[in-house]
Parts: sequence; C-alpha cells; structure tokens
Amino acid sequence: MKKLSFLLALAAPLSAQAAETGDLLRFVACPVYRDADSGKKSGCWLADDVAVGIRYDVSLSPYKPDWNRAVLVEGRLSGAAETACGAKVMDPVRASVLPEACQRHMLPAEGYPGRKFVLPKRNVDPASIVRKAPEGPFAERTFVLFFEFDRSFVVYQYSDYLLDKAVTWLAAAKPKKVVVTGFAASDPETVSGHSIAERAEVARERAELVTESIHRMLPDLVIETRSETGAKPADLPDADGIPGQSQRRVEIRALF
Amino acid sequence: MTDRLSRIPRSIMAALLLPAAALALAATQKAPPPPWWSPGEGRTFPAQIDYRNDSGTLRSLLVGGPLPTKGHPFFEPIGSNGRACVTCHQPADGMSLSAATAAERWDVTKGKDPLFAAIDGSNCPILPQGDRASHSLLIERGLFRIQRPWPVKEWQGKPVTPDFTIDVVRDPNGCNSAPGYGPAAGNISIYRRPRPVSNFKYLLAVGFAYDPKQGIALPRDPDGHGQSSGNLMADNRAANLRLQMEDAAASHLQLIGKLTPKQEAAINDFEMRLYTAQQASALGGALDSAGASGGPAKLRDSEPGALGSIGTPVWSEYAAWEKIPPEEAAKLTSEQLAFRKSVARGARVFRDKTFLITDSSGINSPAGFGNPVRNSCVFCHNMSQMGNDVAPGQVDLGTTTLPFADPWADLPLFRITCLKAPHPFYGRTFFTYDPGFALSTGRCADVGKITLQSLRGLAARAPYFSNGLAKNLRGIVDYYERRYNIGYTEQEKQDLVNLMSVL
Ligand code: HEC
Ligand code: HEC
Repeated sequence: MKKLSFLLALAAPLSAQAAETGDLLRFVACPVYRDADSGKKSGCWLADDVAVGIRYDVSLSPYKPDWNRAVLVEGRLSGAAETACGAKVMDPVRASVLPEACQRHMLPAEGYPGRKFVLPKRNVDPASIVRKAPEGPFAERTFVLFFEFDRSFVVYQYSDYLLDKAVTWLAAAKPKKVVVTGFAASDPETVSGHSIAERAEVARERAELVTESIHRMLPDLVIETRSETGAKPADLPDADGIPGQSQRRVEIRALF
Repeated sequence: MTDRLSRIPRSIMAALLLPAAALALAATQKAPPPPWWSPGEGRTFPAQIDYRNDSGTLRSLLVGGPLPTKGHPFFEPIGSNGRACVTCHQPADGMSLSAATAAERWDVTKGKDPLFAAIDGSNCPILPQGDRASHSLLIERGLFRIQRPWPVKEWQGKPVTPDFTIDVVRDPNGCNSAPGYGPAAGNISIYRRPRPVSNFKYLLAVGFAYDPKQGIALPRDPDGHGQSSGNLMADNRAANLRLQMEDAAASHLQLIGKLTPKQEAAINDFEMRLYTAQQASALGGALDSAGASGGPAKLRDSEPGALGSIGTPVWSEYAAWEKIPPEEAAKLTSEQLAFRKSVARGARVFRDKTFLITDSSGINSPAGFGNPVRNSCVFCHNMSQMGNDVAPGQVDLGTTTLPFADPWADLPLFRITCLKAPHPFYGRTFFTYDPGFALSTGRCADVGKITLQSLRGLAARAPYFSNGLAKNLRGIVDYYERRYNIGYTEQEKQDLVNLMSVL
C-alpha cells in the first residue's frame, strides 16, 4: 500500500482515499494560520486537501506559508498525535509559497499550544566557531542543496547548512574544479487541479546564486556553472524522502 | 546649551553616579566645554567623555587614550562647505544629531552654521536658504537630504537593471522635479537621519557567513577584509567604512577631490576606537551598579557579533536588576528602585513578549519564517550588547512605505511599479517616501527595507527611525503597537521606554 501510493503520487495526485502513515501527499491549498502561542515561532500552519476534505498540519516545513498566497504542500503523513495544532501532522513536509492569491485567514488557538521552537537539526554554526577540517584523502564528491518551488533562495536552516558543509569540505579538499548544476522541475504537472511547473530559468538562477555563494566563501576555487531543466526525482537523503523536493536542487560536484 | 546642561539637578546627578564617575563629572563640570563641537576647534577628544541628556548621562570611551583633533579629518572642515564629519555626528548626541540640537543651532547662529549648508542641510538647494522654513526637515525632524543616482546601475560590483520604476507623486521641496533633480534627471532625493558613528566593532561584525534574508553568502569586503556585515547605511549602499567615508566626504562635506589614504586611516582609527552608551540614568542611577553592566565599557570589552538567542541574551546587562537584594535596595530611593525594576522588566518584554510580525519583507518573505510569524523585538534586534541585527539587517517595517508610514505632507512621495513579480506584500504598485535598500539593489522586493541601526545611545538622539517618524522613545513603542497590533499593557510600554532610555 505504501509503495503503491508512492508510485501513484509521482504520476498523479492521490485519489480520494484516506491516507495512511508514511503516505506521500501532494496538494495545493490556501493556508490557514492558527495563532497558537508557545513563544517565538510557535504558531501553526494548516492546509486542507480539498480533494479529500482533510486538514493537515504543515508547520514542520523548513519554509513556511504566507497567509496571502496558495501553497504547494508535499510530504508524508507522520501518524503523530494531533495535539499541537489540531490537524493531521505531516512530517517530513514542504510548503512552497505560490503566486496565487488566497483569502487571508487566521484561527484562534482554540486550546492548541502549537509547538515550542526548537533549533532545527540543520543549522549553521556562527562564523566564530572553527569548523573541524574534514580529513582526506579527497576524491570526487557531490553535495546537494534544495529549494522552495520556483525559487532560488538558499533556504535558511536547511540549505544554508548543506551549503556550509559543502564549503567546509571544499576548503579542505581543494578540488581542481567544481561543477555547480542547477535543476528545475519545469515539466508541467497537475496538482489539485492546478497545472504547476517551475520556470526553466530557475535552474540557472539557482546555479548562479550557489556559484556566487561558493565564490564569496572560496574566491580562488574554479567553478563551472550549468543548468538542467525537466528535473526528475532522485534518491537524496537531505530531500527527506520527498520526491518533489529532490527535483528542486543544485548539485555541487568536486572534480580532482 | 547651558539650559541642556542644567536640566538635571546636580544633587540628583551626584547621587546617581559611582564615586569615581561622580568625581570625573565634577571635574568636567568646573568648566564644561560646550556640548556642540564646531569643525576645526582643535579640542582634544578625551579617553572618556560624558554628556547629559533628558534621561541621564551619555558616555563615550575612546580606546587607546585621548585624541588631539587638530588636523584630524573627522573634526576638520576638510571640504568646501565648512562642515566636518563631527558637525552631524556630535558626541553629545550619541554621535548622531538630534533634531533639538539642529533647532538650537539654527537659533544660536541664525541659520549661519555650516550644518545648514544648502546641499543637504536644507529641504532643497533651490529654496531660499535664509528662510528657516527651507530647513524645516532638518530643524523639525533631524533629516538630511540624501541624493542617490537613479536608476541604479551597479550593486556589489555587478551591473544592475532595476525591476521597478519610480514616479514622483508629490514633491513639496522641489528636489525630485526641479531642473536637474529627480528620477527624470537621473537621481532621487530622500530624507534620512544621521546614523550613530560609534560601536563599529559590532556593526561590522560577521556573525554568520550566510545572509538568511537574501539566501546567499555575505559579500566579500571590497578591500579584502573577509566578508562584509551588510549593516551600514539605511540602504546599505556602502559595503565598508572606507566607501562610506568617501561617500560622506563627497556629499555632506562637498570635498572636491578625494580623501587621502592617510585621512581615511585617521577617520577609520577614530571610528573603530569609539564606544558610546548611556552611562547613568536620571531616574535609576549608575547603570553599571548593583550587578548591572550598562554603559560603554561593556561594549568595549565584549566580543561582537553574537546572536543573543544562542548566547548572551540581548539586554541581559540589566538582568541583575530583576532581583535587587535588600541591602542594595536600601541604598536606593523608592523611585530609583522602581525604575530599575522597570528597566529589567523592559528587557524581558523586549525579548519575551511575542506578537505576530506580518507583511514585513526581509522577515516574512522570502526567508521562510512564514507570514505571519510570532516573535518579539529581539527577533530582528538580535545581537548581544547592541540590539542591531547579526545578519544584514534590511527589513521593511513599513516606516517609509504606505499604508504603514504616517501621512506626511512635507516629504516627497513616490509611486513604485514592479515590472516583473509584484512586491510580495504591497502588490504591483504602491507608495513610499524612501525605497531604502531597493535604491541599492534595484529590486522591487527590497523597496521599504531599511537597515536596522544600533540601539545604543538612543536617549541622546531623538527622533528615531531613518525618517524620524518617532518623535521620542514612546513614539517608537507606539509605532510598533499600531504596526503589529501587539497589545502591550501601559506598564509594558513604560518598561520598554525605560529600557530604551538606558541603552
Ligand atoms: C550633513 C550631515 C553629515 C555629515 C557632515 C556627515 N554625515 Fe555621516 N551620516 C549622515 C547621515 C544622514 C547618515 C545616514 C545616511 C543613510 O543612511 O543613507 C550618515 C551615516 C554615516 C555612517 C553610517 C553609520 C551606520 O551605522 O550605518 C558613518 C560611518 C558616517 N556617517 C560617517 C561619517 C564620516 C566619516 C563623515 C565625514 C567624512 C560624515 N559621516 C559626515 C550625515 C552626515
Ligand atoms: C521585523 C523586525 C523588527 C522587529 C520585530 C522590531 N524591530 Fe525595531 N527596527 C527594525 C528596523 C528594520 C528598524 C529600522 C527602521 C527605520 O529606521 O526606518 C528598526 C528600528 C528600531 C529603533 C530605532 C533606532 C534608531 O536609531 O532610530 C528602535 C529603538 C527599535 N527598532 C526598537 C524596537 C522595539 C522596542 C521593538 C519591539 C516592540 C522592535 N524594535 C521590533 C526592525 C524590527
């Protein structure tokens, strides 16, 4: 069942059946903010999959919704209790802001506490902390960063962490050259009745921004920038098992 | 001037200060040098200098000892209009310039002070310069005219094509539409407060290598000193102090030619040695007593660039005043005790009282925090000891942009039209008094972003925000209250005001 829905979701939206823990979900929705208050960054983000009439808690996305705009929700049903926000918890999850306008809506806390903020696992150390230099021998290696739908912004407390790891390794490994390839999920797909596709240019924008970031950190490194459209999902650990996330990426390949 | 010095009764002042500080102050009181520093006076800038203000005493420390200012390019009128850097960055005014001081200078000199130079000390050079009304923005709101090229052609060493247009909707002073002025003539005039020239160790510190607001690594310093903090100037047009002083000398001082490397080194030396903060409170006493560590010595002695949320909490300088032991309390008047408790609560309110931050680009977009996001003052003002932003602090609070900015008939108003994607919160067309950061980057999404300032020495340099929107400290709290509908209690508002009065 799990396997089947994974395959289905790659090809088409999930049909109107109740999802099970671990199932992959992908839909477009207008987000609702629940004003739960357990201190800073503790509010809830909710999104309804209108095809099945179920409300999901998408608060754990590394990039969060804007209450003025639609979101593309991608992720898996976690099976965690609904106690924090009062909706089915998706984890891992991604919530990309789309250009379509939405009616702004905020719910009161209604007794839900939200989640007290904890620093995500992927967070960059302050510049003052000396990075442990990775040890050789060094050989060809690829690092991957991930992006929000149709954006080239290096996501805070997610991709900046992955970038920092890459830069720290590159600084020690001193490869002959680095190839930075930006990918765009530019093939149109229909999600919740919306035809969505990333702009082809975002592949180049991603590659250029990441190239510029690496260049700023390691000015002497030789970097070649490439881009590819029509990106396909790939099995990459930091995409957290979300196929759509794995498509929206930049690869940093070190060559010796 | 003398009026300002005597505003606070001596008896209170003496009671406020630690014995050593009181002695130092008593010594300076014998022949108090005038607070106003005129260009080229040749005074010596002492290692420690105190100035009174309505809230107490401001102190500056010059690390490395006294500086004879004779011949020093920060203090000499090296340009062609008789001004020096110190004209607009006055020690008594927290190294900025308060509107009250500008008004005083107008009255004392009948408008002859070079401060009022037509170039930027008047609403516009085309106006009759002898009229007070032609300098109203400086006298009433402490604003100087800043003229920037438009359209901008280059940013961080790369060519730029702006993705928005600027139309002048209203031009009360002429500097955006008279011949030679305004977007049609290749420039734009906006009006801004002088930013304090002190505590630069903090403003230049690079806490993290990546900019979470722009989603990219910090740029390299153009002079090869690591990365740029991105925290200078309202619009961040200067990447470092050298570029800033070259801009300042050419514009504010009307220097013909260039600063010499020696002059640049001398200005940099002075700027990097200076620390400024409130040292004593008229209501609460010495700010470094009873376990508190207010005042500039703490700034001088701390490591810059630390994020308060993972280290030393912002304004924990006053944590000891949360619980003042009875034997300490016995030494204070009940007013002093109450004030100190209020300051300590204010620091808590600043850090812990959360509200929904909405539609503020730089925070709510594109950083991924979400719109809205629940947080407190310290979310943006997050650097330990300083309260500026550890990351490059370009955020749109709405201070310069409608509908959040106050309606002001005497400022020019511009219509912004985004040519590509609409602005994430304002839409395709909207109105601003100052596009801020977007004048540097050329990006519509950056319109209205203003770099967060230092929060030190506030008591000495009203009004506040880049366009002087808040007349006094209470005005700051009131702005945030109406901008974000925070719901502060009257007590919390007063606690925040008291806190800000001792920074
Ligand atoms: C006519 C008044 C005036 C004079 C004279 C003047 N400044 Fe300024 N200064 C300003 C204003 C206004 C700003 C803020 C400009 C902005 O944000 O766009 C500023 C900002 C600065 C800043 C940036 C501080 C920060 O935290 O961003 C520095 C540094 C500075 N000035 C140094 C100097 C130096 C050095 C000189 C002399 C070469 C000088 N200023 C002369 C008005 C003046
Ligand atoms: C969303 C980010 C953000 C939050 C939250 C925030 N500030 Fe600010 N603050 C800024 C920005 C940006 C500026 C500069 C705006 C300008 O000058 O127009 C600023 C400026 C200021 C200044 C003016 C400094 C000067 O030199 O004029 C003070 C004081 C201040 N903030 C206090 C506070 C207090 C008190 C709170 C909590 C009620 C707070 N801030 C919350 C972003 C923020």
